[in-house]
Amino acid sequence: MTVGGVKSVAAPIYVVQVVSGSSEIASYLIVLLFLVSLLMNFTDIPQRIQLQRFSSFVRRKLYALEEMEVDARRKSVAYMSSVGIREPSKILEGFIDNFFLIRPVEIEPTDIIRRFKHLIRVRESSVREYVRRVLGGADRSVQYSVETVLEVVSVLRLLNKLVRHYLELGLKYNNWILVMQLAIQMPELVEIARAYANSIDAFTAGIPIGDSAGPLVAKMLVNWRETSREISDGTNLYETEVDGRRIYVIKALGPGSNVGWPGEALEKLVEELGGAVDRIITVDAALKLESEESGEVAYGTGAAIGDIGPEKIAMERVASKYSIPIDAVVVKMSEVEALSPISKKIYEGVVKSYELVKKVIREKVREGGTVVVVGVGNTVGVR
Amino acid sequence: MMLLQQFDTLIMALIIAFALLLLTALLPWLISAASSRSRAVREELVEVVGCLRCDYESSKKHEKGDYVGKVVGTCPKDGAFLVVKAIYVERRAQGRAGY
Ligand SMILES: [Zn+2]
Repeated sequence: MTVGGVKSVAAPIYVVQVVSGSSEIASYLIVLLFLVSLLMNFTDIPQRIQLQRFSSFVRRKLYALEEMEVDARRKSVAYMSSVGIREPSKILEGFIDNFFLIRPVEIEPTDIIRRFKHLIRVRESSVREYVRRVLGGADRSVQYSVETVLEVVSVLRLLNKLVRHYLELGLKYNNWILVMQLAIQMPELVEIARAYANSIDAFTAGIPIGDSAGPLVAKMLVNWRETSREISDGTNLYETEVDGRRIYVIKALGPGSNVGWPGEALEKLVEELGGAVDRIITVDAALKLESEESGEVAYGTGAAIGDIGPEKIAMERVASKYSIPIDAVVVKMSEVEALSPISKKIYEGVVKSYELVKKVIREKVREGGTVVVVGVGNTVGVR
Repeated sequence: MMLLQQFDTLIMALIIAFALLLLTALLPWLISAASSRSRAVREELVEVVGCLRCDYESSKKHEKGDYVGKVVGTCPKDGAFLVVKAIYVERRAQGRAGY
């Protein structure tokens, strides 16, 4: 036999081997596929894999949150030392994790508002005392801004701790539903945290934020004039006139970051006037729905104030005691916009709501009547 | 020869399945890469300064320490107080971003 003859014989055998080998591979693959689909469909393995994936996603986002917190701490320390506070990081550490508020008992509703109000005031005054001790005789606006910056950093701290808590809880008990839920909520949480982190810039630089819509409208109504007096602690009263109607305007004392006590102030004023008020108009920023445009203005009834209770109920009580109609004018915005420096779109909404307030006064209050307008919101950057 | 053809289709089917799997896995990334090609936006703090008596108004760049209601001078028309009437952020598109 020649060499060539061997070749010509060997070649077909080779082909046959390959073919039978491939069908074997194919059948192995099919068995493997079957087994894998069995594992994936009738065991917890996919959930375990997802748990790993979702937890690593949460961890990545958590790093972003922690970075924001570190950044916020750095900014607040820089701000505090710029206003002359010595050892600002010690002050920050002493504030974070402390000054929490335990909600009053809710299953016994008698005097709950009074108890809640009492607790809020006590907390507020202890925060104020804490900051005042290190700040000395600084301006009240600076005092308010330092308080707010400290609060913002502790909100970021709390958010980080909560996310870490749920992540570790989920991993500890293999609770993939918990981790998955956390992962799904993370983008939203990061967005809110970013809004808080960015708000520090506005608070330290004294620039109005979206939530300043109410105070801005108040300031427009009084033609940017100075206050007549401080009616409540950190809350100013202005007097003006619109087309023969007497207008009282209430807003927080600026230009530091401050919301004041608008409910208490309104109560005091209406009592002082003996209830002789024809209309109360509250103006505030309101959270928009996703489908709504930022800066949209809407008109309704009730006390427009995003308060946990006492201030809002004070408004409702005094209005119903003297049967004074109470209106709400709101400027719509997202949570992020409410905490960020005010955008042009929202500012246009502020102008629109100012015109709306004037229109309501002209159309619904008789000439010679009295109106109280409350500009609710944070008055940072608005004196 | 029949077996050889069968082998080819099987491999082809596996390759197609793998490609589809890869596409599904990369789809979110592809979508985000496509949508992140947004315009660069420049943010600027604008301040509206106006007269308390007449309707004179002008806007300028925000100066540090200014707040709404601050007196920043006198009106060029009638000499009344000029106050900061508004401060807001204006977003200006700055053409296409490089990507
Ligand atoms: Zn003028």
